[in-house]
Amino acid sequence: MATSIKHQLFFPHPPRAVWEYLTNAELMELWLMKSDFQPVKGHEFTFRINPVPSLDFDGIVYCKVLEILPFEKLSYSWKLGPGDGTINVDSVVRWELQPKNKGTELLLDHGDFAILENIGIFNAMNVGWLENMHKIAKQLNAADHGNTNA
Amino acid sequence: MATPTLDAFQVIADPGRRQMLMLLSKHSLTINSLAENFDMSRPAVSKHIKILYGAGFISIQDIGRERHCTLKQDGFNALHEWLKYFDQFWTSKLKNLENLLNNKLPN
Repeated sequence: MATSIKHQLFFPHPPRAVWEYLTNAELMELWLMKSDFQPVKGHEFTFRINPVPSLDFDGIVYCKVLEILPFEKLSYSWKLGPGDGTINVDSVVRWELQPKNKGTELLLDHGDFAILENIGIFNAMNVGWLENMHKIAKQLNAADHGNTNA
Repeated sequence: MATPTLDAFQVIADPGRRQMLMLLSKHSLTINSLAENFDMSRPAVSKHIKILYGAGFISIQDIGRERHCTLKQDGFNALHEWLKYFDQFWTSKLKNLENLLNNKLPN
């Protein structure tokens, strides 16, 4: 079982141009969401997305800028809950920009998932358990039309 | 005694319940044979079984006088839901970004 969500994209533009779209609230709104983001370490902001009742999620993502290194790295915490003031999911979104072939390799890593008072789904499990989960998931996925989610 | 309803994450936070799921991942077991693997009282085992059952991790079938526990898919799906949800979320958002950057900006 994957423990984080990873995506990688190449843009034929310099890191500086891609960076603008990750850190300028007006530009972020064009592809991501409306937010009160500011490129300042420690700044707290929120994203509003569609609520997901089946996951007990009210649609508000609470974030805080954890690391910011212009044109190279950006990370923020990503917390959410059912809307009663409690947090169910605590995670971290990390962006990394690497110059490559006159363009930019953009890496996204959404991980460090921890659930309820830091009892992580993943870090509460030892490696043996993770391996077992993986085996179980494989079996279950194979049984379920062989449909796996990458 | 009422059994608390826990979400999937709370369910697997308990090492005893994780151990039970691991045993059940190999094959179905009766509650009695499952209990033999644990140094806890029978009522304590029953309580964990009820929690696992309530969260959709296992199904229970009465065969004769024995209760058989079998691993079920629902509970594991719940664990996967968050990752799946945000994976789809980012896939769609990054697609937006790609369109935006590659259409609007000159190379």
